[in-house]
Amino acid sequence: MNESNSIISDFFRIGGGLPFTLALAIGGILIGIFLGALLAVLRYNGIGRWMINGIVSFLRGTPFVLQLTFIYFVMPKFGLKLNVLWAGILAFGINSSAYVAEIFRAGIENLPKGQFEAAKTLEIPRFYMWKDIILPQVTMNILPILLNEMIDIIKMTAVIPMIGGIEIMRKAQMVSLIRCDYFLPLCMAATYYYGLVLLIEFIGKKIEKRKLYAKNL
Amino acid sequence: MLKIYNICKSFNDVKVLEDISFDIKKSGILGLAGPSGCGKSTLLRCIQKLESFDKGTMECNGRVCFMFQDFQLFPHMTVLQNLTYAPDLKDRDKKEEHKNQAESILKNLGIGSKAEKYPVALSGGQKQRVALARSLITNPDILLCDEPTSGLDVSTTMDVVSLLKSVNEQFGVTMIIASHDLDFLTKISDRIILLKNGTIAVDVDPRQCDDPVNYLKKYY
Repeated sequence: MNESNSIISDFFRIGGGLPFTLALAIGGILIGIFLGALLAVLRYNGIGRWMINGIVSFLRGTPFVLQLTFIYFVMPKFGLKLNVLWAGILAFGINSSAYVAEIFRAGIENLPKGQFEAAKTLEIPRFYMWKDIILPQVTMNILPILLNEMIDIIKMTAVIPMIGGIEIMRKAQMVSLIRCDYFLPLCMAATYYYGLVLLIEFIGKKIEKRKLYAKNL
Repeated sequence: MLKIYNICKSFNDVKVLEDISFDIKKSGILGLAGPSGCGKSTLLRCIQKLESFDKGTMECNGRVCFMFQDFQLFPHMTVLQNLTYAPDLKDRDKKEEHKNQAESILKNLGIGSKAEKYPVALSGGQKQRVALARSLITNPDILLCDEPTSGLDVSTTMDVVSLLKSVNEQFGVTMIIASHDLDFLTKISDRIILLKNGTIAVDVDPRQCDDPVNYLKKYY
């Protein structure tokens, strides 16, 4: 096998970690957005404010690696035994929810108070007010910051090998050992990560454009 | 239709409304006049229950709806969705009826062609009509309008006068309109209450005065 064939096969070998990386990132961000929005709405309505403040502060104040290893190695003692993928998704989701809750908080506070009052005067029930009036507007306004959070999660997936997960970075390390060279495998891993980030930015811009288009119809 | 007795309201020890009492009858247009900060908007917000009052009582027989100074349309919904969203939630079986009703109100207000537009694509006057339509579709008995002519030029203000008058006649809605523009209020109202420092300075029927604007200015 010549060198160029070997480079191509190594590139695809590293790409074998892509589904794992994607599953972690997508699962993590979905849980993060759901939990983060929920925490922000509950806190805004004064429900469990002190407890939520404490949780958010603790999650932001401790390293992600600690949270990840805690979920994977300690939680089984409390009866929650998860495989590497689900432990990773849960860790990313919970960690991200703290940051997303803060992003949503800022978004909610920046929305004109009149939007809440207009919903109230129209006698729209609170659940529908949040679901159909407030959160859609907040989500569109904070979309660029949410995309940053997604990009951060994608890059953070590189720590998953700590608990035995085999994603892009781990694959790159394995290829490096075979090739006795770190340069090309790391460049290949960087290509995957950077490609994912560019893809997210592209999707984000499409959504923003659609939003502007819809508004100017 | 609406009776208010001795309403008092303070914000951080600053008295905004003091012993406000009045009642209004069906289908009239009451103007709330007064300089900025005299408590007009706070009084409207108390009537709509967006603010609670510290003292006093209020009796209201009918549905109250509020038209905000800055309209507060939902920007991510089309004009039609802005109108039909709340009625659809209340009665999901009558969506088609609500749609027809909304289109008919929009047509009446001269913005029938804007039903599928988003608020950002509308002019200030058109947004105001949408806000009015959104209030009217809820069949209010009393419509509260907060500074409906703020920032408008003279000719657009005249448009608002005829628009609100026609809505009052056509839909039989009682209106309370807060504005600092005495000229506008004397043209539209059949009764004006002028507030000063949170109290009622004068309660007058402008049609009974020779020069209502100057008469009211004495109390400003």
